[in-house]
Amino acid sequence: MELLSVIKLAADRPGADPGHGEFTIEMGKGTRTAVHLYPEVRQKMITRLTGRGKKGSFILTADGKDCRSGSRTFFEKTGFLLLQDGHYENLSVKDHLLYFRRLYSSALGLEDAAGLVQLDRSLSVKVRDLTHSEKLRLRFGTLLFQAPALFILEEPDQNIDLETKRILVHAIEVLQKRGKTFLTLTGNMESAFTFGERVYRLSDRGLVQVITESARSSDDQTEESAETAAEPDFQFNKIPAKVNEKILLFDPPDIDYIESHDGQSHIYSQGESYPCVFTLTELEDKLRTFGFFRCHRSYIVNLQKVSQVITWTRNSYSLRLENRSKSEIPLSKNKMADLKAMLGLK
Amino acid sequence: MTFSMQRMYAIFVKDLKELSKNTFVLTTIIMPVVLALFFGRGDAVPLEVHFLVFNTAFAAVAAYIQSVAIAEEKEKNTLRGLMMSPATTVEILTGKSIVSMGMTVLTIVLCIRLLGFETANWLLVGAGMAVSLVLFTAIGTLIGLLTRTLMEASVVITPFIFILGMGTIFAEMLQGNVILTVAEYLPNFQLEYLAAAVESGAATGEIAGHFALLLGWTAAVIAATALVYRKREMGSE
Repeated sequence: MELLSVIKLAADRPGADPGHGEFTIEMGKGTRTAVHLYPEVRQKMITRLTGRGKKGSFILTADGKDCRSGSRTFFEKTGFLLLQDGHYENLSVKDHLLYFRRLYSSALGLEDAAGLVQLDRSLSVKVRDLTHSEKLRLRFGTLLFQAPALFILEEPDQNIDLETKRILVHAIEVLQKRGKTFLTLTGNMESAFTFGERVYRLSDRGLVQVITESARSSDDQTEESAETAAEPDFQFNKIPAKVNEKILLFDPPDIDYIESHDGQSHIYSQGESYPCVFTLTELEDKLRTFGFFRCHRSYIVNLQKVSQVITWTRNSYSLRLENRSKSEIPLSKNKMADLKAMLGLK
Repeated sequence: MTFSMQRMYAIFVKDLKELSKNTFVLTTIIMPVVLALFFGRGDAVPLEVHFLVFNTAFAAVAAYIQSVAIAEEKEKNTLRGLMMSPATTVEILTGKSIVSMGMTVLTIVLCIRLLGFETANWLLVGAGMAVSLVLFTAIGTLIGLLTRTLMEASVVITPFIFILGMGTIFAEMLQGNVILTVAEYLPNFQLEYLAAAVESGAATGEIAGHFALLLGWTAAVIAATALVYRKREMGSE
């Protein structure tokens, strides 16, 4: 794999909080990486990545050359899609795009950029009249004129509609084929799995890779061999979870889904999460008869609660639940086939 | 780093379109035109009144638009994107200055028509006005750098409009006061005295003195702007 960029963050204070530790993310050309991290840490990282002047402490290596954050070459090579970014509200979409096209002296056609983010029908609309989701698409459209080697996306799917998310995922896939690299910073595991092929988690313990589907097969067998415990004499169906020394018992139909992170499984029920003592594999076994489905390496979902199977692209899927928060759960590629079989589809 | 006409042009067009749709800005820049309409009704307009209108135009149009164009980028969080783009500070400020200077020239020309202003030596008075235009644009840049929002810029500009724009109107009231002797060195007074000196055919030395003071002011404000810019990069607060 051709290595495009290594973002290296030098520690400026030893032993400080996670946003300040030293870590390295290696990203191949034309790959998508996502980092799951807390909002405060994310903000700190963004501030340091976009900061100008001498203090730049990120080093981006591209094409064998190092550039430090804050330098002009760094901002040429990286494009940011940030939550805080603003728009020129009084301009029309067309003027807005035209401005960025001129600013970056881009050869890309205005219609092409607008087409990729599907704003080509609202070119004469004023920016202030766009919805939040359309504004995000507009910002992504302006990035196309910059055509950076590395795109850094901050919470790309926060508060946006389904349509926009689909357009965004599609646009990213198109750009990825042209050799663009993507780094997503998000506090939402589901969006990390949607936007990243490789997913990391940045916490107090530093940067840890979250094992996704591709890294799977080998350790699956070890888990299965541990499963030969004695069968219990009677059937007990409730699932225990521990909260402050108390043990709560959940009825399986009340559970929305179960997520595993940091080596701990968490039960999500009625909008709250509770740490559970069992591993996902154990839970998968216990809950299979209740219509639960292992839809992802780190997720088990209650199929009774699934209201929609969303197809972002041919290789990227999510499940939408009908709970209050309309949670989205990642569905991995090879599990899609199993799910289709269960649903009686081909 | 090369100066790119295209980038400067992009910023110019964007600011022109953005500001021409901002009603808040438009209401402020018609102020000198209203003044000109009001005073232009009289038969003989004294020189003081002509320059009261011109100075107001400089402060309310050149300085105000320039400050708003910069402050609004901060308010709307668009400045960060602009600073990360290949556009250099020179290109950004030139693009913006052309907008504010262009609008000021249009306003001044309109006011001259409305007031029926005439002078013995257009070259000298015109040169004085040109220096004032640069000076007020620099003041606007300075205010834009120091403020964060359109509202803040509008509040900060008000004393400038009153003192540097309409200051000469208060001269009568302050007759004999020590403040006036100091105030006479302000650029708006100097521009008026320059025009008066040209009109009365005063010695070259006197005209040159007024000119030197105007240039001195301009140099001082540009130096202050450069200093402030260095101290705090436009993007960071």
